[in-house]
Amino acid sequence: MSVTERRNKEKLHCDHCQQEMEYSAAVTAVIDGQTRYFCCHGCLGVYELIHSESLDAFYQQRCDWQPGRPAFGKVDAREFEGNVRNDGSSSKIDLLLSGIRCASCVWLVEKALARLDGIVSARVNYATHRATIQWRTGEITLETILNTLAGLGYLPRPVRHGAQVEAFTEEKRDLLLRFGTAGFFSMQLMLIIAALYAGFFQGIETTYRLTFQIISWALATPVVFYSGWPFISNALRSLRNRSLNMDALVALGSLSAYFYSVAMIFTGGEVFFDTSAMIITFILLGRFLEAGSRLKAGSALAALADLQPSEALLVGEDGHAAPAPLEQINAGAVIEVLPGGRVPLDGTVTAGESDVDESMLTGESAPVAKAPGSTVYAGTLAITGRLLVSVTGNAHETLLSGIIRTVEEAQARKAPIQGVADRVAGWFVPAIILLAAGTFAWWRIDGAPTVTALMTAVSVLVIACPCALGLATPLAILVGTTAVSRKGILVKGGDIFETVSKTTTVVLDKTGTITRGKPSVTDTFDYGISNRFMQCCASLEAWSSHPAGQAITDAWLGERLPLDGLRVIPGMGVSGKIEGETWLAGSRVLLEKKGVTLDDKCLETTDRLEAEGKTTVLVACNGHVAGLFGLIDDLRDDAERMIEALRAQGLGLMILTGDNAGVARYIAEKCGITQVRSGLDPLGKAEAIRELKRSGETVLMAGDGINDAPALTEADTGVSFGTATAVAIDSAGVTIMNDDLTLLDTLVAHSRRCFAIIRQNLAWAFGYNLIALPLAVTGVLHPIVSALLMATSSLVVVSNSLRLRKL
Amino acid sequence: MASTFFLIGIGFVIGLAGWALFLWAVRSGQLDDPEAPKYRMLDDDDEVQNKPKKMDK
Repeated sequence: MSVTERRNKEKLHCDHCQQEMEYSAAVTAVIDGQTRYFCCHGCLGVYELIHSESLDAFYQQRCDWQPGRPAFGKVDAREFEGNVRNDGSSSKIDLLLSGIRCASCVWLVEKALARLDGIVSARVNYATHRATIQWRTGEITLETILNTLAGLGYLPRPVRHGAQVEAFTEEKRDLLLRFGTAGFFSMQLMLIIAALYAGFFQGIETTYRLTFQIISWALATPVVFYSGWPFISNALRSLRNRSLNMDALVALGSLSAYFYSVAMIFTGGEVFFDTSAMIITFILLGRFLEAGSRLKAGSALAALADLQPSEALLVGEDGHAAPAPLEQINAGAVIEVLPGGRVPLDGTVTAGESDVDESMLTGESAPVAKAPGSTVYAGTLAITGRLLVSVTGNAHETLLSGIIRTVEEAQARKAPIQGVADRVAGWFVPAIILLAAGTFAWWRIDGAPTVTALMTAVSVLVIACPCALGLATPLAILVGTTAVSRKGILVKGGDIFETVSKTTTVVLDKTGTITRGKPSVTDTFDYGISNRFMQCCASLEAWSSHPAGQAITDAWLGERLPLDGLRVIPGMGVSGKIEGETWLAGSRVLLEKKGVTLDDKCLETTDRLEAEGKTTVLVACNGHVAGLFGLIDDLRDDAERMIEALRAQGLGLMILTGDNAGVARYIAEKCGITQVRSGLDPLGKAEAIRELKRSGETVLMAGDGINDAPALTEADTGVSFGTATAVAIDSAGVTIMNDDLTLLDTLVAHSRRCFAIIRQNLAWAFGYNLIALPLAVTGVLHPIVSALLMATSSLVVVSNSLRLRKL
Repeated sequence: MASTFFLIGIGFVIGLAGWALFLWAVRSGQLDDPEAPKYRMLDDDDEVQNKPKKMDK
């Protein structure tokens, strides 16, 4: 090999992206008198750009950079225009940047953008790869910004917003503004009002009194009409719909105190602007807290959605991977997943090996090893190696997007118990308004001055505000379902959560639910014909793909022997020659067909094992029976613990199975369940559930196969597992993502606790009204005290519900 | 008594300043994400400060 040839084979690293390349393939350039090598013209371009902007420090700082080509591509500014938020002189946009590899990339992007004329600010979030860029409209075009980013090798993409989270954030910010404003003006108002109260008792000059009254009027107005606007507009809307809601009570209470006070300024009476403002302030506080907890639940969902990358490295026909948006990738395509990268789509590994962190889906912290043939899921993290994945479905068909849909659905569904509060509000509100009007009339007739009568009526309106009643159920369910979802239990709706809490009987599918779903060897009979019986059997069965064969192979840990003349008889067994001896392993039928004489001892053992529900594999050596195996699909390790825990909760247990009676009886005895139904087809399982329901039981069914789907739908609650078939997951109301059986017990226990807390909440809310209303009607409670009490009541409900956060 | 009005006025102005600050903070997103700022300080690096804005050749 000549020197040039050797040189051409020499490995180099690209000066920009550090990818390895051959000398002959490098693009060379002399920059500032030094020769630089690049893998492509794109990297050269980026290097020149960074150098010309004197941002070379980037190359010194990057330490956790993974070699890899930058994301080059065309940018079409029109795609982004819909996302620009324009407020007069400045514009803002959120972008998703591809190609962010390390913290220095964030630094580079921010610095490079900040140097452009017209940019107000550029911020990149390292964790989410999102950039927020603000610029002065007209001084720089969006296209320039996007092309600068693309020129640096960070391909910008429009952000797909989690609309729900966006709306939540907006709502919370709006509430915060309204509450903060109300708080500020109410505080100022209280100072003035304190002076007025003091003046009422000690005497006050009319000029001062009038001045203070006018100042308090000015202070109360923004509170009532800005901070209180949501209540007023809701009240008006409900008036138009002729179905008065809770906001109507708040608005009516606040406005009547406000307008009465305005009238008093002109007629020279006492003002109660403090009442109208404090009602709004306290109730806004409650709303603000509620919005916070809803936002928390919503952002968990957004965090899930953010796990899915927005693009994938699509492997083309030439074998090179190039980034492509997910929308363009369909089933059958091959994508590349780099170490440290998230899997963008569900698929099957075709090449490469890697440990994959699936904790976001299953809650299981230990990484799972993936090799060709394994299934990988979108959103999981490839840790150690590079994988080539054959995509099995588009971006909307991934397990992750299914989960997101499920959770969204769940949060939209109402529990039946929630209907109670809504129905109550329907007649409760008009009744309270009547009661308030009646109170006013009664006090007037009784000879009390208008002001006393009015204040008492306002008190009634405020105290009756059924906010706590409205919060009691949805908040508890929200907190409860979020808590279990952190453990990997997805509940499809509040109604389902409620049914779970009423469960009386738990029905378990056998295969795959309480058993492992694959057999293991329980009995081994060696008739002593060969002194290497186990080794020969394992060597032979290693070639069989039947689960029974796998089990026998697994039972021998030693070295395998070489095999000649292998023959696999599908569904029956396998034969071959080991060191000149002919070995045959398979079912009794196969051995009889091959002319092996089965003696009485052997037949008797086989019959006995089969009666116990075991599968038998017989082995012959040179035409004589050498031994036999009994196999059974045994209990999962956590099955006994789960069954014990469920029984401790007073639940009835039952096993349903499609297997024969022997197997079912063996398993039932082993785990101590007395009710067993065996030999059922899918519809038979559903029928068994119907029978249970007819006898008055509330049934929870756990299963994982397609054959369980009808039963899962028939049961009051269906529970499937994350490893279950998609059909099973769809037909179940609850999915346990990480296959941990003991979570079944957690689910039931937690739902029971959740509904106990809801009952406490409702009892509190009703009880509070029951006691406080008479006090208000009789005029014991001043409206401000009522507002305070009411807010306390809501806080009690909120903090009681938050207890559900702990499992 | 003029001092009363004066003090009320001062209190009101200080309060108003606080309110304006609050409005600014909420509007400009200062309260949106209390998590990120602690990481930002790690990013900043002023090695290249005081360099010319553009290096025209």
